[in-house]
Amino acid sequence: MEHKPSSPTPGQNPAEIIDSFPVTSDLSVEAEPRLRWWKHIKLAKIGLFILSLYLFILAITLMKTGARGLTPFLSDLGILSNPANSLGFGWLFAYLIMSGSPVAAAALTFFDAGVVNEISAFTMITGSRLGASFIVLFIGFIYVLRGRDRATSLSMGILSLTVTATTYFPGLLIGIYLLNTGAVDDIQLHTGALLSSVTGTLVEPIAGLLMGIFPFWAVFLIGLGIILVSFNLFDKCLPQMSLKESRVGWVSRLVYRPVVMFFLGALVTMISMSVSVSLSLLIPLSQRGFVRRENVIPYIMGANITTFIDTLLAAVLLDNPATFTIVLVSMLSTAAASILILVFFYRPYLKSSLLFVGWVTSSSRNLAIFMITIFIIPIILILI
Amino acid sequence: MKILIAIDGSRASLGTLHFAAQFVQRAGEPPTILCVIERESDQRSKQAEDTFNTARDILAVPEIETMLRTGHPVQEIVRETESCKFDLLIIGEMRSNFLTQIFKGPPAARIAACTPCPVVIAKGDRRPIKRILLCDSGSGRSEALNRFTARLGKMLEGEEDITVLHVMSQISAGPGVKGGQLRASADELIQEHTPEGVLLERDLQALDQPGVHPTPKVRHGLVVDEIIKETRSGGYDLVIIGAHQGEKWRQLLLDNLAVEILKRVDRPVLVVK
Repeated sequence: MEHKPSSPTPGQNPAEIIDSFPVTSDLSVEAEPRLRWWKHIKLAKIGLFILSLYLFILAITLMKTGARGLTPFLSDLGILSNPANSLGFGWLFAYLIMSGSPVAAAALTFFDAGVVNEISAFTMITGSRLGASFIVLFIGFIYVLRGRDRATSLSMGILSLTVTATTYFPGLLIGIYLLNTGAVDDIQLHTGALLSSVTGTLVEPIAGLLMGIFPFWAVFLIGLGIILVSFNLFDKCLPQMSLKESRVGWVSRLVYRPVVMFFLGALVTMISMSVSVSLSLLIPLSQRGFVRRENVIPYIMGANITTFIDTLLAAVLLDNPATFTIVLVSMLSTAAASILILVFFYRPYLKSSLLFVGWVTSSSRNLAIFMITIFIIPIILILI
Repeated sequence: MKILIAIDGSRASLGTLHFAAQFVQRAGEPPTILCVIERESDQRSKQAEDTFNTARDILAVPEIETMLRTGHPVQEIVRETESCKFDLLIIGEMRSNFLTQIFKGPPAARIAACTPCPVVIAKGDRRPIKRILLCDSGSGRSEALNRFTARLGKMLEGEEDITVLHVMSQISAGPGVKGGQLRASADELIQEHTPEGVLLERDLQALDQPGVHPTPKVRHGLVVDEIIKETRSGGYDLVIIGAHQGEKWRQLLLDNLAVEILKRVDRPVLVVK
């Protein structure tokens, strides 16, 4: 039986996500004849990739225009009036749509439209990542409701959320410092204007048509819907990896240096663009879907940095140097926080994170406290 | 078995010699005592000569070979073992300055990494060997571990209890994975013929010989932490581990758990290669 790796995608039906995770432990191995590398290339997937990229560009264009129309509405609502609000808003919004990337893109368009300032856009992006790390936990929670073992189903989700929170919160402080001092303002990609003019020409007819028909707020929501579809399509472009125990099973059996797993997590997520997808790719690495405790945390840390790659692309498409700076600061601050932990506190951090996961999964009461906390914190942040 | 015992002539060396006596008395060949002094002087040479005489008394064997070297202890010991004349090296817990420890690791760990033969590091609480903890990760050194442990059983006096420990540090990589094995005991894993069960069963078969009583054990948690917990709770007299895997790419990619264990275990450790 060949295993098709699960890939929870933004906006995907939770039932589909659950069904895509391997339930049995007999992910057996079949020998495949060796093919030349070019025979692995599937034209349909390339077509799908081009379509997803086109939809992404179209979505950013629509969201950028639509956000301008949302400014008075959001100002009246007062839910984005300070950085704490936008942190909570990004966090809850990502819960709601089960994805962080569209929320991060929305934060940039809000900044571009003047709805939020630089710091608030940065905190909203941070919130989006915190919310996105809930996806794996949510899937696990549904497994628990279906009667599966609590510890097995929830460990990875809780660990992912714990690592994300404990690196992004210190990263938040580093990032605010970098934005306030303007230390990285000079680092820019100078292809933004050229890229925007090329892509603008490509999406202008459709974007113009939609903007002529719908009001601004609807254009923003259509853009948000399209960006979800584009991420969904992009996930379908990823190679259907029938990762065999014989080929790469060593990743699950041995204990690697933290730095190796850190770069592996960063590399895999740079390609897949989603932490939940890159985590799900760990499942077929061993026949039983197990991974070494020692390897997971640096992998998640690496993944949490390169998951910003699509937001970086959105920033380039917006052709606003400040948006690029915000995303760059998000990446640099997360990287700095992760590296500090890896270099100076890795062993105690590893142990305390795993102890915390053990505590949460040890009883229904603890799990309830944890779940309530992760919902209450963003709500409080919005109300501040 | 040809044994090399490396000492520096200090009082701490006496403890190493007492521990080494258990191995050399049934080794069948005279042991070699290597004394390394960092700077040559009449006083130190005299001190070394006294150490050799003490070694003869402690080891209680009719014949010993002696060697005196001047230089850096780690380099001199490694150089001597590179001749491949020796089947086992026994050293004590050597000291080094703080910065060297941070950047290069403990001297004993560096020797264990560079020598071609198995190394016993006689550290911490040194007692007659009755209870042995054999840590098998199942990552390529199992056969060497078993072969050497079986050989060791013949060398030691009396009956030894050997606990074969495998640490499962795995967790489920995702929500849909069945995780019963992540909490299973050694017996359950053996019954289910899981990879860990097969490994333990193979170890038990390899160690099945008169005077050796092997028991399988599985612990769940971080590898190094669980080994340390087991050594402390089980009252073991010797901990046997495999050396860090030395193939080119693996040395770069894999975490050196052997060094971590050597740093933290508070009793003698045998590193098998």
